[in-house]
Amino acid sequence: MSNVIQASQLTLAYDNGEKEIIRNASFNIKKGEFVFITGPSGSGKSTLLKALYGQLKPTNGSLVVGGNDLANIRRSKLQELRTHMGIIFQDYKLVNEWTVEKNVVLPLMIAGYSNEIQETQARRLLKHVKLSEHANKYPLELSGGEQQRVGVARALSKNPVVILADEPTGNLDDYSSNVIWDLMENACQQLDTTVLVVTHKIPTIFSLPYRHFIIESKGVYEVH
Amino acid sequence: MKFIKNHLMFILPLMAILLGVEFYLVFDRTTNSYEKTLTEGYTMLVVTKKPVKLGSFQSLNKHIITSKQIERSNIISEVAKGMSESNSKAVLAALPYFYNLGLDSFLHTSELAKIKKDLESNANVKRVETFGSSYNSSYRLFAFIKLILKIFIVFMAVVSLFLIIKQMEIWKYAHKERMQVMEIFGAPLMLRSGVLFRVAFVDAIFATIFVSAIFFYIKFYWAAQSGIDLLVENQEVLFKTEDIAILFVSAVVIVIVAVYSVVFSNKGVQE
Repeated sequence: MSNVIQASQLTLAYDNGEKEIIRNASFNIKKGEFVFITGPSGSGKSTLLKALYGQLKPTNGSLVVGGNDLANIRRSKLQELRTHMGIIFQDYKLVNEWTVEKNVVLPLMIAGYSNEIQETQARRLLKHVKLSEHANKYPLELSGGEQQRVGVARALSKNPVVILADEPTGNLDDYSSNVIWDLMENACQQLDTTVLVVTHKIPTIFSLPYRHFIIESKGVYEVH
Repeated sequence: MKFIKNHLMFILPLMAILLGVEFYLVFDRTTNSYEKTLTEGYTMLVVTKKPVKLGSFQSLNKHIITSKQIERSNIISEVAKGMSESNSKAVLAALPYFYNLGLDSFLHTSELAKIKKDLESNANVKRVETFGSSYNSSYRLFAFIKLILKIFIVFMAVVSLFLIIKQMEIWKYAHKERMQVMEIFGAPLMLRSGVLFRVAFVDAIFATIFVSAIFFYIKFYWAAQSGIDLLVENQEVLFKTEDIAILFVSAVVIVIVAVYSVVFSNKGVQE
């Protein structure tokens, strides 16, 4: 199987390289793998995720995602790469002035799909995340768990090659957490999507085989 | 209410700039017409020993466009009253040639002095009278009014531009979250800023309509009733149909600059 993500001697830092977060990390992630990244608070989990969707450029080393070197990627190429990613944030990052349905179809809208396809896909996904009756509501009218389910539906709407999730169940109740884990497991199993989840705790009930990396003292290590 | 306020905060300064642009256009056209009247009414007097053709005057200075000889017989008829015919013939023979010279534009007094100098450099020219003092007072008043209005227009444009930049800051924060989310999911620049462009274009159209309406009112109602000669005489140039296009293009340029300043200040990638 081909590598979807390849990191080689990767160093990530803020403030023009002065504040180093990750140093000389090397790892590969293959297509269709489910990966957990754990580590203590402030260890650099979210920073690594930011680098994976091109929001933070590597200070040193290389980080290749979907065949694109993120250290030297052009803006237009990065835009295109991001359209193949489904990103889930701990703070949801929904557009509050848009309805739930419009938030869900954002990746389809960006890709230029017709309104009809967008509506069909929105209906299907909202049914999956059990929010069909909330399609025309606005994010701030929903609970935290419901908002995160909207975020997951948005991430899945264009059948992405990679899902990057930052503490997706961080502040959620058990019901919402279970719905979200189920959806990500299904995407990995049925659509061969690579799923990379940053979390402080791996769920106790998880049916799929997975890989586990831990970030500690600026290093990224695989736990066997 | 907030919606209207948001739009007015952009439309009003935009209108102020467009009013400045239109004031400038109208003022320029009106003063050009007034300048033409002043130029047409002005001539300088030149006295020469021998007859001189227009081309000869023009070879001395390019601003000279007309020359009209004052009939010497008319002068003699005034001067030689009561003289015998032989004496008046002698006076006529001794009388130099007088010319009224017209200029191509309303020139600064220093330019008049240069024309005088150029003419006097010719040995055939005996005397040049520019009537500088009356010309000077007209010119200075005219130049002063022109300067004051231009300063006022520039001042208005600068203040309005600051207001627009301030409003852009508000827009920047209002749209920041949405634009960042769209960028994370790979939306190109035009899609991210589409809403801003639509809002700003609508505001540009409204601002153009409002400013055009104000000048239509001034042209067709206010100017006629104002009793100000300059406005009544130049009513036709107060507002022209093509001004709508000029105003709209100006508004669109301001809108594009304003929107791009918001879009580019929302860069996402950290290095």
